[in-house]
Amino acid sequence: MNHAVEATSRSEREVDHARGKALANTLFNVALAALFSALFVQAGELPSSMWEPLGAGSFPRLVLGALVVFNLALIVQSIGLYRRAPQQRSVGFARWCHERRLAFGTLFAFAIYALTMPWIGFMLASLAFLLTVQWLLGARHGRRLVVAIVVAIVFSVGLYALFSHVFLISLPKGRLW
Amino acid sequence: MPMTEALLSSVEQLFSLATLVSMMIGVVAGVIAAAIPGFTVTMAIVLTLPVTFTMPPLQGVATMLAVYVGGCSGGLISAALLGIPGTPSSVATTFDAYPMARKGEPGRALGLGIWASFFGALVSAVVLVVAAPPLALIAVKLGPWEYFSLILFAVTVVASLVGDSILKGLMMSLLGLFIATVGQDPMMGVPRFTFGIDVLAAGFPFLVVLIGIFAVSQLAGEVENPTALQRGGALIEGQIRFQPFVVMREVLSRPVNLLRSSLVGVIIGAVPGAGGSIANLIAYDQAKRASRTPERFGTGIADGVVASESGNSATAGGGLIPMIALGIPGSAVDAVLMAALMVQGISVGPRLIMDNADLAYGMFLAMFLAAGMVLVFCLFSMRWFLKITAIPKSIIVPVVLVCCAVGALALNNRITDLYLLVGIGLVGYVLAKLDYPLAPLVLGVILGPIAETNLRRALMADEHWTLFFTRPISAGLLILAVLSVAFTVRRVIKQRAAARS
Repeated sequence: MNHAVEATSRSEREVDHARGKALANTLFNVALAALFSALFVQAGELPSSMWEPLGAGSFPRLVLGALVVFNLALIVQSIGLYRRAPQQRSVGFARWCHERRLAFGTLFAFAIYALTMPWIGFMLASLAFLLTVQWLLGARHGRRLVVAIVVAIVFSVGLYALFSHVFLISLPKGRLW
Repeated sequence: MPMTEALLSSVEQLFSLATLVSMMIGVVAGVIAAAIPGFTVTMAIVLTLPVTFTMPPLQGVATMLAVYVGGCSGGLISAALLGIPGTPSSVATTFDAYPMARKGEPGRALGLGIWASFFGALVSAVVLVVAAPPLALIAVKLGPWEYFSLILFAVTVVASLVGDSILKGLMMSLLGLFIATVGQDPMMGVPRFTFGIDVLAAGFPFLVVLIGIFAVSQLAGEVENPTALQRGGALIEGQIRFQPFVVMREVLSRPVNLLRSSLVGVIIGAVPGAGGSIANLIAYDQAKRASRTPERFGTGIADGVVASESGNSATAGGGLIPMIALGIPGSAVDAVLMAALMVQGISVGPRLIMDNADLAYGMFLAMFLAAGMVLVFCLFSMRWFLKITAIPKSIIVPVVLVCCAVGALALNNRITDLYLLVGIGLVGYVLAKLDYPLAPLVLGVILGPIAETNLRRALMADEHWTLFFTRPISAGLLILAVLSVAFTVRRVIKQRAAARS
């Protein structure tokens, strides 16, 4: 019984996503087609050459032109998929994002990590990032928290030492101190 | 350089203490990485690349090959003990190795897989040594027309093999080709699409694109499901018993299966875009078809384990054939190896065997050496494998992300590369969620400059573009390109018709 419920709810989720995905794909390809068309025009201003029939702009224009054709084909295909997907089961973008909150949370933490690194340095930024993300992903109490702290120290201080002493690559020290 | 001299020089470089130690570390890292579900071989190789910058070329490439060969075997561990493929290359291994382990023979399952991997890698290295040099001799004679058509063929094959929509696959290849045009034009040095942004003046750094696409975006995908994160804890209890030499005889008593599966792996590895993730399934399928007792496949028999593991390990050598002979990488992993050589200032192409013979022979030898090292390491460390597979994702994902940051920084020590990495990772994640295959993109990026240079050279030599169709080899390759698309379209139409009825 439980299995049956699980199976239907899963297939519902997939159906929902099929419709949302088709819409997202349409919008995505419209945006790309616009971007590539603009770049296609811009590439026309690149200089041609005296020595060869193709200048600097020809190959990119060839590729960009083909890309726009593929974008248009994908738009047509996605609109078809969108129409065919059943309508009543749509759940919307917010829930889709909510289901992936951990992935977005991790990527967001990674962005913050990159932005703070030049200021506070590799070691401290990595320590904070490792602790935050491990906590976010479930290492919150007892033994798992202790392991998380040990891992964070080893892979921030340890990696820094390894790269500066063994591979002779110096990672950011931090502008604040 | 005469052949014997080049061979001796490569032996000398390879058997230095530093190279042996870094290769051994590479093997260990590759095996462990592939044993952890969610951590792929490609990720491991991409992250090894920055570490090799300070090494001499052969040591660097040998270390990366060691990670590769180790990774080809490591996926076996979680496949056999947990029933979860550690990498996509070991999907078919779960069919028989896991039932065998559940029946109380985990030691036999692992032993069979390890020996089969070893012999698979060995066979592929032999084919590589035999096939690559003559192929390179032919390839040197190819003109720019043939080269351009060859790349077109490679791009269409990749697009039709990966993912389920050829439109999306081809679009990703084209996007890769376009990304490669950002920066300086390869013939005149004119800046293109840089918009006055300093970071883009030299183009998108390939390594950053690779790490963003293959590591950051995939790691984000690994932590989507909150309930799966709590998993861990092995399913196989008790002592694992090992009898390595009894098992070796068991593997060798199946020479036909072993050889067939290895050759399947080599051939599939040599086709651009297809790699271990396809080879293990086809090798398994072929073994099942040829078997007198196909109904026993899937119940935990030795033939199944041998077919899958020798098949996926043999792709390592197969993929190197087009890379060494033609300068066209057979898979994303080979693209990374090629990038590693390019960073060292070595141009990869048919002239590699002639101009850098010691390097090419060194790579051949490194394949054999790595296969041996993997065997020794696995046989001695099997006891601890269960512990590796139990490491939770809450540790793996953040730690590997930090390694990604280090990898992006190590190239130029530019903090802007790190920002770029975050951006590419996010774009890669969105692309993956919208079902766009990412491997064609990466191959497009690496093949872009080669395609453009050859196209322009061809038209410089002769303004008539009809030559692409009238030169026989070029025409043949173009026909193959059209056929590969046509076959895929036909397959999709058939599948749709089948799904409807």
